[in-house]
Amino acid sequence: MGFELREHTADIAVGATGDSLESVFGAVADGLAAASTEDIPQTGGDRFSLTVSAENLEALLFDYIDELIYLRDVRLELPVDNRVEKLEIAELGESRTKDDSADETAYSIEATARGVPLSEITAREIKAVTYSEMRLEETDDGWEAYVVFDV
Amino acid sequence: MTTFDADGVTLEQIREYVWEVKPEGEMRTPARVLASEALLEEISQDKTLEQLQNATHLPGMTDYAICMPDGHQGYGFPVGGVGALDAEDGCISPGAVGYDINCGVRMMRTNLTYEEVKGREEELVDSLFANVPSGLGGGGIVESGIDDVEEILARGVDWALENGHAVEEDLLHCEDEGMREGADPSKVSQKAKDRGKNQIGSLGSGNHFLEVQRVTDVFDDKVGEAFGLSEDQIVVLIHCGSRGLGHQTCNDYLRKIEQQHQGMLEQLPDKELAAAPAGSQLAEDYYGAMNAAINFAWVNRQLIMHRTRKVFERVFERSWEEMEMDLLYDVAHNIAKKETHTVGSAGDGSDVREERELYVHRKGATRAFPKGHPEVPAAYRDVGQPVIIPGSMGAGSYVLRGGEASMDLTFGSTAHGAGRLMSRTQAKNDYWGGDVQQELEDQEQIYVKAQSGATIAEEAPGVYKDVDEVVKVSDELGIGDKVARTFPVCNIKG
Repeated sequence: MGFELREHTADIAVGATGDSLESVFGAVADGLAAASTEDIPQTGGDRFSLTVSAENLEALLFDYIDELIYLRDVRLELPVDNRVEKLEIAELGESRTKDDSADETAYSIEATARGVPLSEITAREIKAVTYSEMRLEETDDGWEAYVVFDV
Repeated sequence: MTTFDADGVTLEQIREYVWEVKPEGEMRTPARVLASEALLEEISQDKTLEQLQNATHLPGMTDYAICMPDGHQGYGFPVGGVGALDAEDGCISPGAVGYDINCGVRMMRTNLTYEEVKGREEELVDSLFANVPSGLGGGGIVESGIDDVEEILARGVDWALENGHAVEEDLLHCEDEGMREGADPSKVSQKAKDRGKNQIGSLGSGNHFLEVQRVTDVFDDKVGEAFGLSEDQIVVLIHCGSRGLGHQTCNDYLRKIEQQHQGMLEQLPDKELAAAPAGSQLAEDYYGAMNAAINFAWVNRQLIMHRTRKVFERVFERSWEEMEMDLLYDVAHNIAKKETHTVGSAGDGSDVREERELYVHRKGATRAFPKGHPEVPAAYRDVGQPVIIPGSMGAGSYVLRGGEASMDLTFGSTAHGAGRLMSRTQAKNDYWGGDVQQELEDQEQIYVKAQSGATIAEEAPGVYKDVDEVVKVSDELGIGDKVARTFPVCNIKG
């Protein structure tokens, strides 16, 4: 369970697994941090929280990473040690079947991250999260995700 | 008929350097690759061809989707892709423009020769690195508030002129005189503006850079003279885009399209191709927002160029005017523009040609209008639009001029660079930043300074295609003709 960075001609992809949706989302977010710098400091920076909502699971993952990139640029901090505290699927209760249609904002997360000041690290800019080849699938062991970042 | 088989995709050779995949399945038009066999071999190694075929599914695709000789896999639309989508009954696609709206290149001339710079490279590269913000969180040249961002989005380089970061001549040597018509700052989200606010006048990271170069060859004396280029001359090349503001704008509209035009999206094979139907409110909104982001990118490159003038003043103890540090040209290579082209009527096989208004998407491709075209700035109308093709740190770059054949073959477009060959992860396995840096200095007298060694490794000369081969294809097809070649002297990057 966790993530690994994968080959891509121009950009960087992350493959992530988790025993729950919360953990696979968090692993993709940690992939964003790892793609940004090779040396993530073990300590330093304060935790902050964020909430994101969207109309389906893939969109939620997209918006979550998009929000982290936005917060990175305006807070001037790299979000690391990402934790998705709660993922809620309002309309569908416990079934969590992503193909079922649901109203907007039916899917939401509450997450936290430790914001490492960019002035303290050497990091490169990930421009954006993309939908290209994005996968988010339930497996026997939990969940798997594949996301390409634009470098 | 010569064919090329690329893992199940058959390309027929139409003529030298022109390969075509015939329409099959949901493809609305053929897909064309402009390449030598050697480049085609490289292009067929990743998902470039699949992405190019996918691009032909976009409604209103006209004549064919085109992949330039430097093409490689991107997201949704391939990098090096050109797609002309009908502006009346087609669509506009943020994904086919790319995240970095108006990522582009500008070249500034000087009257310095290589002899005058030799021996001072380290001082120059250090001073540039210290004065031009780069990397993540490095800030921008100007500290600005949201009011400035609004002005920049609306007025482009005119804002820079008013605020002392440009001279009148700079505007005359920029596409659209540095101000895109139809820019609508109100269509750019607050989030995008918040991101842009800290980054006005900054290189960013990835493949973006500032490079001092020397002109090694002038292939065409007449055009070289018109461009003000001669051998041994020092020039400066700046490669960057619209920073976080553009990236956010792209994503904002991808999501809006997903929510409002699900029907069209479902017909497309890749969500990243998301497009708004021509004439829809969202198409208008995106076009206004994209044009505003284009202005932002122009100002970004302008501020970096003007700062570079100041750095040269300090290092060479002369005024920049005395060093004749003038903008040669600024080209965008991630952009969509409404243009009128003469095209074949949509897909009925007849020979009827008509003028159509099209959203010409160039993603990793450069506009290359030939001489006489009314949209080429007056300064260059007699020779053709300057096209700047940056190469890798070790290979040098090219200046071309828009070729006579570009209007017929490529909607007035050519390549945009060397094009990546190797993934970033593989590059980091194969190269170590420090070694690359040292080798470039020892063997080529190229001085490189970067925020991160990993960036140098990922951008090592060996990860790119052969820029000479890319330019040869452009030149021989007549879409962009060789004018001059440059070689790096020093380079800064994020």
